[in-house]
Amino acid sequence: MLKITNLHATVAGKEILKGLNLELEAGEVHAIMGPNGAGKSTLGNVLAGREGYEVTQGEVIFNGKNLLELEPEERACEGVFLAFQYPVEIPGVNNTYFLRAALNAQRKYRGEEILDSVGFLRLVRQKLEVLHIGDALLHRAVNEGFSGGEKKRNEIFQMAVLEPTLAILDETDSGLDIDALKTVAEGVNRLRSKDRGMIVVTHYQRLLDYIVPDKVHVLADGKLVATGGADLALKLEEQGYAWLEDGGIATLDVESAVQTANP
Amino acid sequence: MSELSVQLAEALPENTGVHPQWLKDIRETAAEQFRSHGLPTRKDEAWKYTGLGTLDQGGLRLASGLTTAPKGGANPSPLTESGLQLNMLDGQIQEQIGDIPAGLTVLPLADALGFGVNGLQGLLESLPVNQEKGAGGYGFSALNSATLDSGVVIHVAAGTDAGRLTLVWSTSQVEKPLLFNSRVCVILEESARLELLEQFESTNDNANTSNIVVQVDLAGKSGLQHIRFQQETEKSVLITRTEVSQQTDSDYAYFGFDLGGGLVRHDLHTSILGAGAKSGINGAYLLDGNRHVDNHTRVDHLACGGFSDQYFRGVAGGNGRAVFNTAVCVHPGADETEARQSNANILLSGRAEVDTKPELEIYADEVIASHGATVGQLDELAVFYLRSRGLSEHEARQLLTTAFCKSVSDKLADPLLAEVISQRMMDVMPQAE
Repeated sequence: MLKITNLHATVAGKEILKGLNLELEAGEVHAIMGPNGAGKSTLGNVLAGREGYEVTQGEVIFNGKNLLELEPEERACEGVFLAFQYPVEIPGVNNTYFLRAALNAQRKYRGEEILDSVGFLRLVRQKLEVLHIGDALLHRAVNEGFSGGEKKRNEIFQMAVLEPTLAILDETDSGLDIDALKTVAEGVNRLRSKDRGMIVVTHYQRLLDYIVPDKVHVLADGKLVATGGADLALKLEEQGYAWLEDGGIATLDVESAVQTANP
Repeated sequence: MSELSVQLAEALPENTGVHPQWLKDIRETAAEQFRSHGLPTRKDEAWKYTGLGTLDQGGLRLASGLTTAPKGGANPSPLTESGLQLNMLDGQIQEQIGDIPAGLTVLPLADALGFGVNGLQGLLESLPVNQEKGAGGYGFSALNSATLDSGVVIHVAAGTDAGRLTLVWSTSQVEKPLLFNSRVCVILEESARLELLEQFESTNDNANTSNIVVQVDLAGKSGLQHIRFQQETEKSVLITRTEVSQQTDSDYAYFGFDLGGGLVRHDLHTSILGAGAKSGINGAYLLDGNRHVDNHTRVDHLACGGFSDQYFRGVAGGNGRAVFNTAVCVHPGADETEARQSNANILLSGRAEVDTKPELEIYADEVIASHGATVGQLDELAVFYLRSRGLSEHEARQLLTTAFCKSVSDKLADPLLAEVISQRMMDVMPQAE
């Protein structure tokens, strides 16, 4: 579904991603962990097409298309969804209105029928039920005055409605207390499906207690340096990232983990 | 004085010959003022950013009041339903649609002057036309008073809720552009209520100038909701002044929407004369092309415990130029006043310009006052957020700018009208460059 090859990207002239390789199949959930400043958020922003994140080398093929050549809205219409680390507050834009406009823009792109407000509301009610979210956020302006937990829940709700094929969750756990974290994680788990790939970017392991990944990657200094199973995340929680400097992955003693070959 | 001012002054008769004497005095004093000062110029502080060069070039002539018989013509359709609608063509009532409810009096100005309406004389005499007073630039008001014969008088009896009255303003297609003067007098007695919806929208592409003065007298506990919506043609010139005086516990809620017009100037002045009176003054202006929209608002707090909130939002693209000047003066004795001023603007092109200036003077105690004025660009992160969900860049920008202006229309009590106006704003939203 997604193949990232030798991705280099700069932000404000500074190279942040330095040759990242990643392959994700439909139905898989991959976690990307790493210390602060490793480039975790940059990866999500590059994949979503945010301005100011300049790709200097490498390619990203998503379902056979060169993702980097597409505008942000085309990527969204192709099925890419970025759950923001800091969802943006948009005063005056009603959440329901915005989401319907977004869904219809995507449906139009794919040559599907536009949903009228009745049809849209029916869909929304169904999604809210699945996610166990109340309908209060429907009537409010997008993220305006939302608590940290509400903002993240709103991201998951948008994802449920837009049904992307590739979801990138950028530090969705940051700023959440344990209850909010559980709610968000449950929402994500409900959206796992054989047709959908997910990249869960996180600094801490605790989110992965609730969203159990198929693979865990360690991102350090702009590259993936190690890849393993869910047990790698536990080890990282225990031992931190100091091993990056003292002798590599072997010192971690994780059965599933291997040093990632970099070009 | 400009050539135009001289020509207009010459068109004003020395001796009006009108009766009664007080009316003759108003007209002749105003004519005298106009003859000595003419139209405002950039030298007048209040007109620093708004030049009248386009008027000079157009060969504008003074329409001579009642002598121009209104011709039938297509009227714009009203924004929304209204029990009573007056189509105002060339400054005069052309057509009345709907019935006048009990307690409401609506008369052409000329008839009201003949019959006499309670409080009308005092109201007409109270309009400032004296150039030396205040910041100057009362030339249009002087011209309006000097030709005082067209317009409408609206009177609501004590305790009556008269509902909505719509005035649909337009001007005729003429060979050479004309200047029309018109006066609207709104008198609300104790505890009376009215919603006045003014809609300015000519159906033809004319270059006329409308000079309209609205005077509002709000008795104790009365309430006026005043909505002014203008989507005039790109050549037309609209000069309007609204003067409001408010007695104890009266409520004035103003909503102005500028979506069109070539040269637009609106002066809005409210005087809080009675304790506890409230003024909510809201507006949105959207301009592109070469349009010029100038709003000057001023609230004078002259009684204690008054409240005023001025809230304006503007979007300027193309070569558009917006001027927003908001002033609050809390006079001695107007203690425990609360006054808020907020103006934010979005510039969508490098050539558009916004001049915004809040002014605040306080001479009383225990006053709460706040003011803020900003000019900026759209939040690019918000644009990206919307695009990342599938909206095109154009849709994202349009949604954000409309939302920005919708914060004004959303304050309207009638959600249907708010929706109509918000849709109209979306339709004319300037594009980012």
